[in-house]
Amino acid sequence: MTDITDRKAEVRVRPKEEFNFFQDQRVRSAFYQILTAGLVGWMVWYLISNTAHNLEVRGMNTGFSFINATAGFDTDFKLVEYKPGVGTYGDIFIIGALNTLLISFLAIIVSTVLGFLIGVLRLSSNWLVSKVALAYVEVFRNIPLLIQIVFWYIGVFSLLPVVKKSLDLSFGAERVILNNRGLYFATPIPGDLFWMTLVALAMAVIGAIIYRRRAHKRQDASGEQTKTLLPSLAAIIFLPLIVFFATGMPLEWDIPTLQGFNFEGGTSVPPAFLALLVALSIYHAAHIAESVRAGILSVNRGQSDAAMAIGLKSGKVMGLVIIPQAMPAIVPPLISNWMNTVKNSSLAIAIGYSDIVSLFMQTALNQAGYAVEMVGMTMAFYMFISLTISFFLNIYNKRVQLVER
Amino acid sequence: MAIIKATKTPTRPAPISETSVLGWLQKNLFSSPLNTLLTVITTYIIYLTLYGVYVWGFTDATFVADTRRECYGNSLTGACWAGVIDWLDNIFYGRYPREELWRINFGGLLLAFWMAPLWITRAKGKVLVGASVVVFYPFLAGYLFSGGDKGLFMQVMISAAIVAFVINMTNAIAGLLKQQSIAQFIITSLGKANAADKSQRNFLIGIVAIGFGAAFLWQSSWTVEFVPWTKWGGLFLTLVISGIGIASALPGGIILALGRRSKLPVLRVLSTGFIEIFRSVPLITVLFMATTMFPLFMPEGFVLNKLVQVIIAVVLFNACYMAETVRAGLQAIPKGQFEGAHTIGLGYWGTMGLIIMPQALKHMIPNIVGSFIGLLKDTTLVSIIGLFDILGMLRSISKDIPWLGLHKEPLIFGAILFFIICFAMSKYSRHLEVKLSAGSNH
Repeated sequence: MTDITDRKAEVRVRPKEEFNFFQDQRVRSAFYQILTAGLVGWMVWYLISNTAHNLEVRGMNTGFSFINATAGFDTDFKLVEYKPGVGTYGDIFIIGALNTLLISFLAIIVSTVLGFLIGVLRLSSNWLVSKVALAYVEVFRNIPLLIQIVFWYIGVFSLLPVVKKSLDLSFGAERVILNNRGLYFATPIPGDLFWMTLVALAMAVIGAIIYRRRAHKRQDASGEQTKTLLPSLAAIIFLPLIVFFATGMPLEWDIPTLQGFNFEGGTSVPPAFLALLVALSIYHAAHIAESVRAGILSVNRGQSDAAMAIGLKSGKVMGLVIIPQAMPAIVPPLISNWMNTVKNSSLAIAIGYSDIVSLFMQTALNQAGYAVEMVGMTMAFYMFISLTISFFLNIYNKRVQLVER
Repeated sequence: MAIIKATKTPTRPAPISETSVLGWLQKNLFSSPLNTLLTVITTYIIYLTLYGVYVWGFTDATFVADTRRECYGNSLTGACWAGVIDWLDNIFYGRYPREELWRINFGGLLLAFWMAPLWITRAKGKVLVGASVVVFYPFLAGYLFSGGDKGLFMQVMISAAIVAFVINMTNAIAGLLKQQSIAQFIITSLGKANAADKSQRNFLIGIVAIGFGAAFLWQSSWTVEFVPWTKWGGLFLTLVISGIGIASALPGGIILALGRRSKLPVLRVLSTGFIEIFRSVPLITVLFMATTMFPLFMPEGFVLNKLVQVIIAVVLFNACYMAETVRAGLQAIPKGQFEGAHTIGLGYWGTMGLIIMPQALKHMIPNIVGSFIGLLKDTTLVSIIGLFDILGMLRSISKDIPWLGLHKEPLIFGAILFFIICFAMSKYSRHLEVKLSAGSNH
């Protein structure tokens, strides 16, 4: 009891630190923050007031009313129904956004597969193969993407044969046709009972997963290994096929046919789409290959030695020991590469593929002239994508860290 | 009983598989049937590619012709390099007046000489050399490239740049010969080594002032012809944009990175927001924003030219990327360094400027070179918004009447050019990485 009172007295007695207004930490930090906030606020206000004034002087329209105004121009590639003169600028925004997402999605898939392949080839024990993979990486990483895109567009896909002399990529079946107007391919049209085939496919996949889990459990319990790959593959292929034939092949093809000067029917993609897809995939595969290689090399050599010592085959060493440990090092750069793919797809503007930048931020902006709103919407779209991707990346990083410790 | 060997057993030669060419081949190319197959297929593909390129690019190619038609007359299947050769000046310098090209070359040479001491191990004061390049060179080069009337400010800066350059050169020579800085050299050779510090300093300042006066008089005696920025182009413009980009992105990036790691919440939130906004959008949208929205941001009647708009956009964009590079470098500095600096009583700027940044920057040099490569490649985007940088020039060859439709060869030439520049730089940055990590303790 006395103790406490003593201490209290001590506290009261302790001489106050001299309060120097200019040297006090809190005063200084508050001062700096208010100063910065004031400066930035003034800057923003200045820019906004200038912009408002300029818009007024130039008689430019503002606001988001243009979204519902009809747009009078057409695009050569769209995933949704749209007619010029009927569709709105809102539709244009959606078409552009979907086109960007489509090309980025495809490019991400192709570049990831290609990148992993080349990253592994880079570490091949075959000297020649690893040098070729190295040459691939160095060449495509060090040439600006824009030059590559323009080259593929002008130098390759625009020089393809004309419509009359189209290349047939399906070996005479005329289902996949390539010419200088783009790629045409047959589209399946599902018939009445086609859903049953899909159900069968889903069942086969679920069955295969369950079978695999059981096999794993069995291996854990008894050490016996069961072959899962062949039975599951057989089930996934044959079960839907049997159902498909039993229901009387309810699937028709919409085949592109030459009518007049062009192909009609089926689905077609313009040369710009192909050029962009090829260039993005090749460029980003080179970057992904480097991060895959670095990731695999980051796994301690002792790990593969130990795995070989306990008698695993080289394929299993890779699949069960190296890759799982390399993944935490590979995934973050991989995902930032994916983000770059989405951003770089905006270079479509150089070759006229109608992505969000070239369709909405250029064509629509030139037509309607809501510069601030349209640039803002486009940037917001990219920001949304980036934030979404980095959100998932953070979740993944947290999970990986939890596994580690 | 001991067994003693009187003669040393000779070492056995290494197995043949380790030393001979055949052994190397066996080990690296034909170690298994699968590897052999891979080797054969790869060799065949390489042969096809290289042979195709060789035939197209050399044996069937036309190097001397006046029009594309003439190229076709020579060979239908070969490349038409004559068009590229005809346009070489345009590719490198854009539409810069032909009789004034020496100014660009001279500017480039000046930069090379100015920066050369950074690579001379015996030269002193490398930090000052680097700083003088960033602070003074742009004024000298800017006037050299654009020309016209010099304002008073430009006259002062040009004279200062000339003085800085001369000091830098003499300093490098003094370093090479005597391994001294120029200041030491002057002091010792004039026998003033024992004088008081203050009088030494005054003496040196006097010399610099006299030099400045002389430079000022000399530079006012000449002017160069005005060349509007619209005539700039080609590789020159690409290098100007990316050079200004990298030189201003680094300080900007350092400020943003410090802001992001600051303890003051307002600074942190503002810098983080700024960095993340610019990092999440493509460069082309920033460039469009610059050309469509900057005119609206400015007060009425104030017009920025397109080149300045583009440079501002490139600088803002790259400062944000650089900020992340710097932040990574700062994170690599152990906490003990901060604590140690606080212990000896350094404040925030002292800690950062004297202790943390020098260490962090050393670690970051390879990444900074990497950013510069990225920036150089990204600069080709300005051709989309209508500047005639190198890509713009390469693409306009196909619109020139004699070379109508010549697309492939210029693009391939540009690709080779970029490859050489970027590959050399990335090799150099890797060399630096090895050199720097060998010098450090961990």
